[in-house]
Amino acid sequence: MKAQGQGNLSVGILFDTGLGNRIDEALAMALLYGLDGKNEARIIALSVSKPNLKAAAFCEAIARFYAGASSGAFGAVGRTLPVGMAEHGNQPEDTPMLTTPLAKRTEDGKPLYSHGIEKLTDTAEVRALIRNALAQQPDQSCIVILTGPATNLAQALDLPGTKDIIKSKVKLLAVAGGAYPSGAPQFNIKADLAAAKKLFAEWPTPMVVAGEEVGAALLYPAASVEKDFAWTPAHPIADAYRAYQPMPFDALTTAMAAVLQAIRPQENYFKLSEPGVITVLEDGRTKFAAAPEGKHRYLVLDAAQQERVLKTYVELASAKPVPKQPRVRRQQQQVEPPKPVTPKPPEK
Amino acid sequence: MITRKTLSRRTILKGLGTAIALPFLDAMTPALAASKLPGDTPVRMMFAYVPNGIIMENWNPKYEGKLNELPRALKAMEPLKDDITLLSNLTNNAGRAWLDGAGDHGRCCGSYLTSVHVRKTKSDILSGISADQIVANQIGSKFRFPSLEIGMDDARQAGDCDSGYSCAYTNNLAWKSQTQPLPPILNPRQLFERLFGNGAQLSPEARAQQARIRRSVMDVVVADTKKLQATLGPTDKRKLDEYLSSIREIERQLEKAESDNAQINPGMDKPYGVPADFAEHFKLMTDMITVAFQADMTRVVTFLITSEGTSRAYREIGIPDGHHPLTHHFNNPSQIEKVAQINEYHVKQLAAWLSKLKSIKEGDANILDNSMIVYGAGLGDGNRHTHEDLPTMIAGRGGKAFKAGHRIVHRRETPMANLYLTMMDRMGVNPEHFGDATGRLDGLNLS
Repeated sequence: MKAQGQGNLSVGILFDTGLGNRIDEALAMALLYGLDGKNEARIIALSVSKPNLKAAAFCEAIARFYAGASSGAFGAVGRTLPVGMAEHGNQPEDTPMLTTPLAKRTEDGKPLYSHGIEKLTDTAEVRALIRNALAQQPDQSCIVILTGPATNLAQALDLPGTKDIIKSKVKLLAVAGGAYPSGAPQFNIKADLAAAKKLFAEWPTPMVVAGEEVGAALLYPAASVEKDFAWTPAHPIADAYRAYQPMPFDALTTAMAAVLQAIRPQENYFKLSEPGVITVLEDGRTKFAAAPEGKHRYLVLDAAQQERVLKTYVELASAKPVPKQPRVRRQQQQVEPPKPVTPKPPEK
Repeated sequence: MITRKTLSRRTILKGLGTAIALPFLDAMTPALAASKLPGDTPVRMMFAYVPNGIIMENWNPKYEGKLNELPRALKAMEPLKDDITLLSNLTNNAGRAWLDGAGDHGRCCGSYLTSVHVRKTKSDILSGISADQIVANQIGSKFRFPSLEIGMDDARQAGDCDSGYSCAYTNNLAWKSQTQPLPPILNPRQLFERLFGNGAQLSPEARAQQARIRRSVMDVVVADTKKLQATLGPTDKRKLDEYLSSIREIERQLEKAESDNAQINPGMDKPYGVPADFAEHFKLMTDMITVAFQADMTRVVTFLITSEGTSRAYREIGIPDGHHPLTHHFNNPSQIEKVAQINEYHVKQLAAWLSKLKSIKEGDANILDNSMIVYGAGLGDGNRHTHEDLPTMIAGRGGKAFKAGHRIVHRRETPMANLYLTMMDRMGVNPEHFGDATGRLDGLNLS
């Protein structure tokens, strides 16, 4: 099913992040906008699972940095995409990767990275946001990317009718979390264990998962932050990176792997496990069991691709924003008003 | 020991083809319980809808919490600011395009009270059961009318009213079932006859003929009225007199409208008896809603003030342009100003009516206190056709349930259906789920 007047739409991305917890999530967002700029992806909704206004504010600041204010609610024009935020959950505390870039000011005292989120009501009710954003998309046209705790997605599953909407609109869930085929409990899983268990047990679509071993094996080079992001004196991702921990440090890329695999599966940057079922254990570890009918697969590093993957990460994450023209209605210019809505006589 | 035979709440003054229900009278309560309403507080649920969005800069105050100075579009509500609640950020996701292209006017109205994304069609319409009808289905049988559907503009049910959307979507708020909208009554005489008569439908010619020989309904029920008056105390006598006078006044307004129609512009494009002046028409219709509330004829009303997407002109206030084309102003200040004036004009009529409701005592409160009258639009910004932050105001306290006098800003994307669920609870109907609701609305209830 194609939207009227929309032509061929690129894949719609609903991005749910624990922004503020780990720097790879900010890098993943930069990577995502790099793909959006190449029209390989179309961001339809942003939400943060960290119950922290600064997380939502920084998410919106990044969105504004890349998309400007012309990106509108679900494709309409005028308002920025609403940012959903978990109202309750773990890791609510401020972190330097949020507070430092948000505190930066221009010479005239204005926020360097503008956003419109000061209070809870500036954020969106996250279950409604997820459901509403997906409901409007063509069937099997969307990918959900989860780079943080599963808090929001698990809640959305409980909203009446939403599981059916996910089933019809979403073709893939890409997750950064866990360790495969085995490993220690991973941060995103532990951060909301109940939500992770629910997500892996109930999510109705195929799922591809980037484990921590993928992110740990391929570190993002600190040198790139200083060099490749230097095309602008003020870059929110670079500022967050520097604030995350003392420089120089190379960063995990688990979240970036999930984004790259989700949008460019045809590039075979990674190998995939056989199908199976991932179960979340009580201690936060993840267990994979092969099963021909299983909906889960995890990423496997391909030694032959590592250099190429890293190059792609750098190229896309440091890409300049690509301004986009509003798609729907022309603004700010005088055009002939539309014809009045005049009832036509009943058809015989 | 004081004893008194109580008057039934359902007492009716009858005459040939006429039945006038009574307002609440002290005689309807047991002795020593005067001012206490018989049975439960008569909480009403009403939706009054205006089309084509609102100039939102003139609607949303720049503050949250207790209402102080009201913005331009709501200025007329100043005397009533302790009786209203402004709700911000409510969204009707079902009104958005999804994959259906143009037609926001058809979609937003067809889905306004159903919270269901309507089928884009000119013929085989499909929406959902509206919130008002869920309540009417549950409690309506206790009242003379399970619900009343009233409008002032266009009741055509077929044809294309917006980019392939049936007129059934733009011209109805209430939906009895997924496929059966309940068309509003536009004609004041028709509404009057529904409220006080035997409901017979007359042709315009027959109506005119009847008008020439018509007696007031007061004349028809004079015998019953005298009999009742003899049993009432002075307070009740005064109340009854005021009530019957208000009905007589409605009759006078109707007669004037019919006379104007016949003499001034017999070829006008309006049903016979519909006042040409918007304010007069509004007053007539709302006066009858008042009587329906007073006499507890119904607890559920939808009022489509004008149809969604209407191009009605407002010459009464010096605006000859169509409402809908004006709202696509593309930031032209002159057009924005005209839309702002239309928005103000609507609210002014509403405020006058709400003040009247407030002036009518009911037990230890008044009719407005005991009501939940939602005034709003299915579009926020009519220029851009936005479906989020819909202009929404509730007048009344739902019978001491709501803390009025505040602006409550909800989180973005909060469904309108959450409001409907909250109101349904107050009506004694407690559905587990409705439309795309995510729960009940926070902050509205006192408790």
